[in-house]
Amino acid sequence: MLKEKLQKFFKIDRRWIFLLLAVVLFAPIIKPIGLPNKTISRDVQHAFDYIDKLPAGSFVLFSLDYDPATRPELHPQAVAMVRHAFKKNLRVGVVTYIAGSTGLIGQIFATVPAEYKKVNGSDYVIFPYMANAVAVMTQMASDFYGIYDKDQDGRDARTLPVMQGIKNYKNIAMIVSITGTSMLDYWVAYVGDKFSVPVVGGVTAISQPGYGPYLQTGQLKGLIGGMKGAAEYESLIKEPGKGTSGIDSLNLAHLLVLALILTSNIILLIIKYL
Amino acid sequence: MSETWMIAGAWIAAGLTVFLFSFLYKDNPFFKIAEHLYLGAGMGWWFQVYVYNILGPKVWTPLVNHDWMVLIPAILGLSLVTQFVPKISWVSRYGFTFLMGYGSGLAIPAGLSTDFISQIGGTIRPLSMMASMTPWAIFNSLLVAFGVICVLFYFFFSVEHKGHFKKVSNIGVYFLMIYFGAAFGNTVMARFSLLYGRFDDLYTFSASKYLYATQIILAGMIIYFAIHGLMNRGKKQAEAVN
Repeated sequence: MLKEKLQKFFKIDRRWIFLLLAVVLFAPIIKPIGLPNKTISRDVQHAFDYIDKLPAGSFVLFSLDYDPATRPELHPQAVAMVRHAFKKNLRVGVVTYIAGSTGLIGQIFATVPAEYKKVNGSDYVIFPYMANAVAVMTQMASDFYGIYDKDQDGRDARTLPVMQGIKNYKNIAMIVSITGTSMLDYWVAYVGDKFSVPVVGGVTAISQPGYGPYLQTGQLKGLIGGMKGAAEYESLIKEPGKGTSGIDSLNLAHLLVLALILTSNIILLIIKYL
Repeated sequence: MSETWMIAGAWIAAGLTVFLFSFLYKDNPFFKIAEHLYLGAGMGWWFQVYVYNILGPKVWTPLVNHDWMVLIPAILGLSLVTQFVPKISWVSRYGFTFLMGYGSGLAIPAGLSTDFISQIGGTIRPLSMMASMTPWAIFNSLLVAFGVICVLFYFFFSVEHKGHFKKVSNIGVYFLMIYFGAAFGNTVMARFSLLYGRFDDLYTFSASKYLYATQIILAGMIIYFAIHGLMNRGKKQAEAVN
């Protein structure tokens, strides 16, 4: 009798689970619980430390290569890292090899620079989208302006104050690649390893485990993974953003999944052995 | 961007999100509309990307400025299109030959150095520095080296996997399973993050400044499913009577 009742659990309409998950994810958006994000992973800490130690005025090249499909995970990372760079008075250059990124880059730089009184052309520069990333990366090694002679607004890149002293990778202090594609692999292989430029990455949680070997060998100086990584970085720079606010939902959703896995396994054991 | 366009954008975004999620309940015409719109909009988006970001600045503008060298890559690129005409499809081989040579030249040395030699070095190097390492770091390095050997052995098929060889190979499988488990856990987290992102946008679009887009569209969908369900029930009852 008990077994028959328990068997019904496995025939539950999966749409109820979808609904439960939707409620669990949506509820903290309406009313945040404020669950703390207490752990800072080693690789996020390394990424933070690397940028934090750069002297003011260093030129950091941001390669922001993600589109709306991975925005919830990568956009908070990009916002947090750009904020950190501005806080440290670093010069920021932005490139992209994903056409869908241009609007999202525009979103960041429409608001964040103003918070730190940074001026387009003097403190940061946004370059236009370029196709064929590997060819562009290779070309930039000899002459940055051979590829990027104009910025996104059509201004001569050579004459911009932010670009003073920048000719090739030798003048770039660091590359930050935030991507939902394999662009980080290209930066490591074609630039980081080849021209000894430090590379820090920001990737989706799905691709995060695959970058372990690059971190172990030091080919990557630090890595931010998914929304949790963004939340960790936000807490390091003490600027809570979308990453931090998403932690409530993620924690509750993970608890729900754990509860469902545990419940179904206990029920299976009962059915099998009782 | 004007306020009207912001509101229109919010309604389209909220509408398409709700329409696509409605498939989780059951297939419906609104889901089909969103699906086809996605395909059409995607094609249109890429078309304009190629025209305005590649064809225009990389081919048309140099040609207008009498930079004739650009004709060489342009013709090689165009040769690929001859694939669609069987009689002259051989021309495409020139384009493909260039792509193959260029791609191999770029990828092979970088791949060998970054993903092969550096990784082997990364596995071996710690073993030569044990005197200056903490016990935990030594254990970690040995574990990595042991895992690499076991996993490589699992993929080595020239020796029959039995006896001691099978044990080593099985340990390799456990290492792989741990990696897959970690990757799957991260995948779940990533998917939840994406879902959170959509819900966060839906919440944003539920504000009065967007004229309650989310609530109205959701209510519309619920009404549709309710009416559709009632009509179907009526049809089924009529069929049962007949």
